[in-house]
Amino acid sequence: MRYSWGMLVGGLRGGLGLLSFAFIAAVFFLASPAGLLAADYVGSNVCRTCHPNVYSTFFRNPHYKSIASGREKPENTGCESCHGPGQDHVAAGGGKATIPVAFSQLAPEKVVDACLRCHSQTVSRANIRRSEHTQRDVVCTNCHSIHSSPAPKFLLARQQTDLCYGCHSSVRAQFSMPFKHRVNEGFIQCTDCHNPHGAFSATWNMAARPRMVDQAVGNEEPCLKCHVDKRGPFVFEHAAVRVDGCETCHSPHGSTNARLLKRPVVFTLCLECHNGFANFGRRLDGPPSPSPTHNLADPRYQNCTTCHVRIHGSNSNSFFFR
Amino acid sequence: MRAVLLTAVSLAAAISGQTPVAPTTEAVGIPRGENVSGYNVRQSFELGERWHSVGGDEGMYRSTVNYGNGPRLLSSSLSVNSLEGHGGLFDQIQINTLGLGNDPYESASLRLEKNRLYRYDLGWRSDAYYNPGLTIAGGEHFMDTVRHVQDHDFTLFPQGSFKLFLGYSSNTQTGPALTTIQQFNATGDEFPLFANIRRSQREYRLGGEIRLMGFRLNVLHGWVDFKDDTPVSLTSPSAGNNPADLTALTSLQRSEPYHGTSPYWRVALFRESKLWAANGRFTYVAGHRAFVDDETAFGFSRVGAPTGQQVITLGNAERPALAGNLTFSLFPSAKLTLTNQTSIDHIRMVGNSFYTQATNGIPITPFNAFTFLGIRTIANSTDADLRLTKWFAVRAGYQYSTRRIRSMESTALANGLIEQENGLNTGLLGLRIHPVKALSILLDTEIGRADKPIYPVSQRNYETYRGRIEYKQKSFRLAGYSRTDYNTNSASLANFASHSRQYGIDSSWIPKNWFSIDASYNKLHLDTLGAINYFTQIAGVGPVQPVTTDQSLYISNIHTGNLAARFSIRQRVDVSVGYSHVQDVGDGRSVILFARGTTLSNPVTFALASAQSFPLSYLSPQGRISVRINEKLRWNAGYQHYGYHEDFSGLQGISQNYRAHTGYSSVLWSF
Repeated sequence: MRYSWGMLVGGLRGGLGLLSFAFIAAVFFLASPAGLLAADYVGSNVCRTCHPNVYSTFFRNPHYKSIASGREKPENTGCESCHGPGQDHVAAGGGKATIPVAFSQLAPEKVVDACLRCHSQTVSRANIRRSEHTQRDVVCTNCHSIHSSPAPKFLLARQQTDLCYGCHSSVRAQFSMPFKHRVNEGFIQCTDCHNPHGAFSATWNMAARPRMVDQAVGNEEPCLKCHVDKRGPFVFEHAAVRVDGCETCHSPHGSTNARLLKRPVVFTLCLECHNGFANFGRRLDGPPSPSPTHNLADPRYQNCTTCHVRIHGSNSNSFFFR
Repeated sequence: MRAVLLTAVSLAAAISGQTPVAPTTEAVGIPRGENVSGYNVRQSFELGERWHSVGGDEGMYRSTVNYGNGPRLLSSSLSVNSLEGHGGLFDQIQINTLGLGNDPYESASLRLEKNRLYRYDLGWRSDAYYNPGLTIAGGEHFMDTVRHVQDHDFTLFPQGSFKLFLGYSSNTQTGPALTTIQQFNATGDEFPLFANIRRSQREYRLGGEIRLMGFRLNVLHGWVDFKDDTPVSLTSPSAGNNPADLTALTSLQRSEPYHGTSPYWRVALFRESKLWAANGRFTYVAGHRAFVDDETAFGFSRVGAPTGQQVITLGNAERPALAGNLTFSLFPSAKLTLTNQTSIDHIRMVGNSFYTQATNGIPITPFNAFTFLGIRTIANSTDADLRLTKWFAVRAGYQYSTRRIRSMESTALANGLIEQENGLNTGLLGLRIHPVKALSILLDTEIGRADKPIYPVSQRNYETYRGRIEYKQKSFRLAGYSRTDYNTNSASLANFASHSRQYGIDSSWIPKNWFSIDASYNKLHLDTLGAINYFTQIAGVGPVQPVTTDQSLYISNIHTGNLAARFSIRQRVDVSVGYSHVQDVGDGRSVILFARGTTLSNPVTFALASAQSFPLSYLSPQGRISVRINEKLRWNAGYQHYGYHEDFSGLQGISQNYRAHTGYSSVLWSF
C-alpha cells in the first residue's frame, strides 16, 4: 500500500475530527451533572406528591424562581436543581440513599460545591474557598436553612446574631459588655462588618489574614461605613489609624471602657505608643512622648483628648488641637 | 410542618433568650397568611409600651442601654408572595420594622421584587447615641446625637446574564455635643465648647454585571459626597478647666465647613470551573476634601491680658487609594484545595493647609503646611486544604506581606522624605478531626514574625493557638474552645508585650418542642505591659522631671456567663428567662492598690494603678412571657434589670454605678 500526503492529511483530519468530537462530547458530558440525562429528572411536581410540607411554602423560597421562570433546564429547576435527578428516588419509593444529593449526608466540601454551582462568581462570595469558615468545615447548610428558614432574608437558619453566637460565644461575651455596638438590640448585624463567606486581604495592618472582616467599598475598614466623619482624608492623619487600623485603640465588639477603648483611661492608651522609642513611628524616631510642659501628675494632662481633640485626624493642626 | 416550625422557633427563642427586652424578633405565633388574588399575605404587628426606672448614674444608663418610656410599634412585618411566581407588578414584598416610635434603635427594611425583572432593597436605621464620656474627657466630650442610615439598592434583571445596579446610601449624624479647645497658646487653658453636630454622607452607585463565556464581569462606579458643617461656639464666658490659670474665654465662634467627594471604581472578574476558580478585584478611590476653619476668640491670656485671636485655615486633602486582589483556586482532586491570593494596596494622603493667625491684630507669618503619608502593601498568601480521610483533614498556609511607608510632615522636610519598609511572614497549620459524626475537633495555630513594625503596640512576634471541640447530637450541643494570642514587640520585654487568653464553654439542649435551655461561660484574660515615658513633678515639689523607667501594666480578667431557658405551656403560654453576667476581676485584688489621697513619691503611679486593674460587674437578668389569646393575637410582657457596679471608687473619682429596671408590655397581632 502506498502512502500519500493526501492520505496523511486525511488521516490527520479524521483523527482531529474524532478528537474534537470526543472533546466536545466530553465537555457536554462533564457539563451535565454527573453525566446524567435530562430523562432522569422528574420535575418538582412529582416531589410535591410525597413532600407537600416542603412544597406548600416553597413559593416563598427564593429558589422557587427557578420553577416560576419556566425557562431553566431540568438540572437547574426546583428541587432537582439542588438534590439531583429524582427518578431513582421515585422508583425506589423514597429513601435518603436514593437522593443523588442529600445534603444531610454530604461531606462539607461537597455542600459548598453543590451550592456554588449556582452561587459562585459574586463579589460577596469571591473568597469562599479560602474563608476561615470553609476551612473549618462551616459550610452553607450550617447557617442557611433552605426549607424552613425563620428569617425574612437569605434563608438563614436562625436570626443572624443567634447563628453567629452559636459558635462564637466569646464574641457574644464581648457584645454583653457595658459598651458595645448594638448588635443584641438589632441595630446592626454581624454582616455589617463581616463577610461570613470570606473576605479579601485587609488594606490595613500588614494585609493580615482578613478574619472575615468585610471592607467598605473603598477598601477601607468597615468602621468607616458608619463612622463617616473619621474617614478623612485629613491633611494631618493620625498615622496609626491608617496604618494599623481602628483596633489600635478600640475593641470593636465591646468593651468595659467608654467609647470601646482598650484602656479605662486615655493617657495609658496614648503613652503605650507615644513613648519615644526609636525605630518606631512615622519618622522612625519613635512616636513623640509628651513634652516637658505636660506634668502628668496634673489631671489636666491625663485626658489627652481634651486638647488633642481631633485625634482621628485634623486639617488645621498637626497636633490635632483643632 | 408545624413541628418543624415550632422546633425552629424554639431554637431561635432559646438562643436569643439573652437579647435585651426588645421586640420579639422571632415569631411568637405562626402566621399562615391569607391568599388574595394570587398572592399569599402575612402580617404581624407588635404594639406596646416601654417603661424604665434608673437609680444611680442615668448618663451611664443612657450610654449603655438607653431604652425610654412610651408607646412603640415594637415590631412589624408584612410579606406578600405571589403563589405562582408570576405576579403582576411584583412577586414579593417583604417589610420588617423594629422599635419604631422613639426606641433608641429603630430599623426598617423593605424588599420589593419581580422575578427576572427587578429587585429593590431598602434598609433604614436610626440610632440615638448618648455618651457623656466621663472617664475619658470628664464629660466635656458629651454627645447626644442621632444617626440615620439608609441604603437603597435597585437591580435590573437580577437573574439575567446582564444586570444593572443602582444604589443610594445616606448617613447623617445630628445633635448636640460638647467639645474642647485649648487657648490661647500651648500652655493655655482648656475650655468646653458647644458643638451642633451636622454631618452627612451620601453615596450614589451605578454598575452592571455581564456573564459571558463562563466569565462574570462586575463593574461598579460610585460617588461619595461628605459634608460636615458643625458650628462650634462658647455658650457663656468661661474661666476654663483650671481656675488657677488666668486664661479665660469670653467668646468663641468657629465655622468649619468640610466638604468633599470620593468617587470610586470597582471592577471584579470571576470564573469558576470544576478544576479551578479565579477571581480578580480592582478598586480605585479618589478621596478629596476641601475645608475652611474660621475661628474668632476673645478673652484673657494666661497673664490676664485681654486677648483677641482669629485663626483661619483653608486647604484641601487628597487620598487616592488603589487596591487589587487576584485569587486562584485549584481543585486537583476531590480531597485537595489550593488557593493563592495576591493583594496590593496603595494609599497616599497628601494635603495642603494654609494657616494664618492674628493675635490682638498682630498676624503671624502665614504658612502652608504640607504633609504626605503613603502606604503600599503587597501580600501573597497560599492555603492548602487536604482532606485525608472522612474524619481527618489538615490545612496549612503561608503569607508574606511587605509594606512600605513613606512620610513627609512639612515643607521644611521637603527633601527629607522618610521611608521605611517592613515585612511579615506568617504560617498557619490547622487540623480537623471528626472521630465520630457527632464530635468535631478543630486545632490551629498561626505564627507571625514581622520586622520593624511601625508602633510599639503593633504585631511583631505573635503566636495564636486555637482549639475547639464540639459535640452535637440531635437536640443537644456542647462546645468548648480555647484561644491564646501572644504578641511581643521589642528587643527587650520592657517595650510592649500582650497576652490574651480566652476560654469558653457553651451548650444548648432542646429536648422538647416546648422546652429549651442554653448556657455559656467565657473567660477573657488580657495582660499588657508597655514601657512608657513622661514628665512629672516628683513628690509634688521641684521641677518637672522625665520618668523613663515606668511601665503601663494593664490586667483584665473578664468572666461572662449567659443562661437562657424557654418553655411553653400547652402551646398557649411561652415563657423565657435569661441571665447575663459580666465580671471583670481585674488582677484579682479586692481593694484598690492605693487609696485615694495616698501620697506617693511619683504621683503618676496612683493614676496608673487606678487604671491598670479596674474591676467591675455588669449583670442583667430578664424574663419574658407571651400568652396566646387566640390564633391571631398574643399578649407579651417583658422585664429586664441592668446593674452596673465599679468595685473601686471609680476612675478619676467618678462613679458611674447604676441599676435600672426596664420592661414592656405589648400585643402581637399576626395573620
